[in-house]
Amino acid sequence: MRIGVFVCHCGSNIAGTVDCEKVAAAAKDFPDVVYSDDTMYACSEPGQQGIIEAVKEHKLTGVVVASCSPRMHEPTFRRAVERAGLNKYMFEMANIREHVSWVGKDKELNTNKAIDLVMIAAEKLRRDKPLISKKFDINKRVLIIGGGVAGIQAALDCADGGLEVVLVEKTTSIGGKMAKLDKTFPTVDCSSCVLGPKMVDVAQNPNITLHTYSEIEEVGGYVGNFEIKVKKKATFVDWEKCTGCGLCMEKCPSKKSFDYFNEGIGTTTAINIPFPQAIPKKAKIDADFCRKFTKGKCGVCAKICPTKAIDFEMKDEIITENVGAIITATGYDLFDFKKYAEYGAGKYPDVITSMQYERLMSASGPTTGHIKRPSDGKEPKNIVFIQCVGSRDKSVNRPYCSGFCCMYTAKQAILTKDHIPDSQSYVFYMDIRSPGKSYDEFVRRGIEEYGTEYIRGRVAMVYPVGDKLIVRGADTLAGSQVEVEADLVVLAVGAESAVGAPQLAETLRISYDTYGFYMESHPKLKPVETNTAGVYLAGACQGPKDIPASVGQGSAAAAKVLALFSKDQLESDPQTALVNAARCIGCYKCVETCPFGAIKEIEDRFGNAKAEVIETICQGCGLCSVTCPQSAIQLQHFTDNQILSEVKALCPSMMEKS
Amino acid sequence: MTGLEELKTKILGALPELDVVIGWEQGYDALNATPLFIRKPEDVERLIIGPLCAHNLATYLPGLKDKKVGIVVKGCDSRAVIELLQEKLINKDNITIFGLKCDGVVNLNKIRKKIGDLGQIRKVVFDSGIITITAGETDHQLKFSEVRMDKCDTCKYPNALLFDHFIGTPDDRQNGIEPEHISDAEFEKMSLEDRFAFWKQEMSRCVRCYACRNACPMCVCRDHCVAVTRDPHWISQENDTADNWMFQMIHVMHLTGRCVECGECERACPMDIPLMLLRRQMNKGVRDVFEYEAGIDPQGKPPLLTFKVEEDNIPEREW
Repeated sequence: MRIGVFVCHCGSNIAGTVDCEKVAAAAKDFPDVVYSDDTMYACSEPGQQGIIEAVKEHKLTGVVVASCSPRMHEPTFRRAVERAGLNKYMFEMANIREHVSWVGKDKELNTNKAIDLVMIAAEKLRRDKPLISKKFDINKRVLIIGGGVAGIQAALDCADGGLEVVLVEKTTSIGGKMAKLDKTFPTVDCSSCVLGPKMVDVAQNPNITLHTYSEIEEVGGYVGNFEIKVKKKATFVDWEKCTGCGLCMEKCPSKKSFDYFNEGIGTTTAINIPFPQAIPKKAKIDADFCRKFTKGKCGVCAKICPTKAIDFEMKDEIITENVGAIITATGYDLFDFKKYAEYGAGKYPDVITSMQYERLMSASGPTTGHIKRPSDGKEPKNIVFIQCVGSRDKSVNRPYCSGFCCMYTAKQAILTKDHIPDSQSYVFYMDIRSPGKSYDEFVRRGIEEYGTEYIRGRVAMVYPVGDKLIVRGADTLAGSQVEVEADLVVLAVGAESAVGAPQLAETLRISYDTYGFYMESHPKLKPVETNTAGVYLAGACQGPKDIPASVGQGSAAAAKVLALFSKDQLESDPQTALVNAARCIGCYKCVETCPFGAIKEIEDRFGNAKAEVIETICQGCGLCSVTCPQSAIQLQHFTDNQILSEVKALCPSMMEKS
Repeated sequence: MTGLEELKTKILGALPELDVVIGWEQGYDALNATPLFIRKPEDVERLIIGPLCAHNLATYLPGLKDKKVGIVVKGCDSRAVIELLQEKLINKDNITIFGLKCDGVVNLNKIRKKIGDLGQIRKVVFDSGIITITAGETDHQLKFSEVRMDKCDTCKYPNALLFDHFIGTPDDRQNGIEPEHISDAEFEKMSLEDRFAFWKQEMSRCVRCYACRNACPMCVCRDHCVAVTRDPHWISQENDTADNWMFQMIHVMHLTGRCVECGECERACPMDIPLMLLRRQMNKGVRDVFEYEAGIDPQGKPPLLTFKVEEDNIPEREW
């Protein structure tokens, strides 16, 4: 074998603390290394050209690049190696940036470590074998999980691009959080007026199949050919028959059911359509409150329903959808404000969340748009908004900024003045974060034209005196304590990952951060991709986002899927497990451990039990390989021998010969 | 172990349906037993049971996978059968199990250590906890509790756990027995350096005869063992401490959550290396992490042969 080694300076990123020339010189002495050089930027056009020319000039049969993490540039260099006429798997990368120059300061030690890493890579390369990808057909349907504004946008864009779309929504209606909002910042246009038409488009688009009140049960398969099991939860109403007339809601005797859509500010009936613009506009029975389920008798809705749609015997149903790509748009949930006991959250009825306040202001809300405080229905005059409730607070494990609270609070203060002209709003804030287009002007308008009083400081406590609430806090700009007498306190609750988000991530096999937000493939350059091929992200499931950003990501994810589906076939990754049938004893321990169901039991021509890997399903995790007692199943490009050669290069035997 | 005549009758009854029944017979002298393969009714007469019958006969089962096999098992042996069934390495339909109640079996190495190599043993008598060994004209009396296998000290399963025919009366002693052997506690008192030195010494004595592997009922790879292959080339054939150690570690790792502590490896070892110490330590880890004991439930699954996204006792997210 003829190996070429290229040591990258990465400007001063590596060369600053690693003697790259020395590393290149040391590499010349490694077995099979016939050429080595250091280069300023190996990934740049001249850097790649240098590799290609060296391959041709020195008749190299394998290439080692010592540079950065393979995460970003392994594909780059593999393509370069392929252009040079080699198999792209005859390439190894030594990470001397993240693993060396960025983590150590001692130049001599760093240089030694870099030499070791290059040696490991060269040793592995000596045992690498050319691998060939296979091609397979794509199923050009896309699954979108979550029917909020991001999911709706992605669904419409994909459908417009001619794709068949399966949209799965957890609740009975699409619309998500945006459907609950009264107005949107910074234009103060009616939320349901801009979202409503899009929701209707989803319902009417022939390319979109909508499954609401449904959840993802199981995800099998791989990019291009996923098999999805969707659980359609029992609504106890046959939606084929339900016309959404609402007669059942008028007659249902359980009128004190919890109103999820209105955030518990009002009550609803046990059988209900969550809001007038719901898509699909179908009724569902809430079994927790329905008398037929809790007490065993009632059935008024069944008698009254003109289409006989009520079915108390309805069961959850599992359906299968086959798709080629998945867009996850599962959104976020709001921080549980009860964790702030000092604000009286959950204790005093007139301390409410910002989302409850949205419902109070909304014309379709329980008060038909009249702001009435929950305790006595009076119109509040002094309203205090407290910012960063569940944001930027390590004590509740929410150190991140939710991003949109500053803006919606500014909007709510402005709208309050519109609703109640003789009211006064106060905002306790830490910093005002308004970096969007026209955002800061909007906040200024609130302060200058609407007289919103901004007080920089945190609130220490909220306590009742008579029918008022006293908000005591610090004014850090004035350096004094302040007390505000409030009729209503609105807590600007932050965003957290949606309930069940980590579980769904496990099902989808995508990564998520400590807070349950989904990890993008690259924070700057691959913001809507995940590390699982064929699974994309849109909206707040990836991190708190406002409406324009969510919509933008919905479109971006749709574009990614359309690009993926522009080909008829995909290339499979040849880095999969492979069974050496001669060594396999057919114990099928690999079948038991494979998380992807990628191994099947077969018989060879003599009737002996053997295992066989289904290459397109195998994700190359290597679990089977470590389970197999006789190492008959090997992960290609990461075989035992390849890894052992790395270990041996790094760790010469420390035990004397006996 | 009691009920030899009952066992013989049962075996004679079952034999017409079976290719072979595996039991024990007297070996070359009074102290040694040896496996017996019963193919004809007259073979049954040679069958013995008792404290000399230490061999775990389940080791033969995977090799006889397609034959109709009868097997005589003690409690510990039955765990090996269960483990093999769990892993689908043998087929229950092909196996008839004759289960025994066991009162412990002898460890010949312990006897040899106490009384030396006596040559031909003429007579061995077990009576109320005392074993009397007659060699030449001399009687040697030893306490059975001092010369039985270590596993018998901590035995929780004297009765066969899985059987088609149970011979004798089951023993109900099961409770209050600690799984940790006394020698483990002593070993754990040693410092890490001392332990390392201890194992280095032991592993330098290993002759890589693979007797431990061949005797192990769970070592089913046989001709495909990683110890003797170049692809993958985990260890060389060179007999040095590092490679010996690597081999022994591979053996233990492959037994994780599968080892039923039958002790055959240690019994087979010609160098008397304390192999069970390694296995008991590993099993302790399995008990702590997975709350699992191998070879108890035919429907159970060894923890390392399944996939679970998050293990209950491994706090992956709390690092």
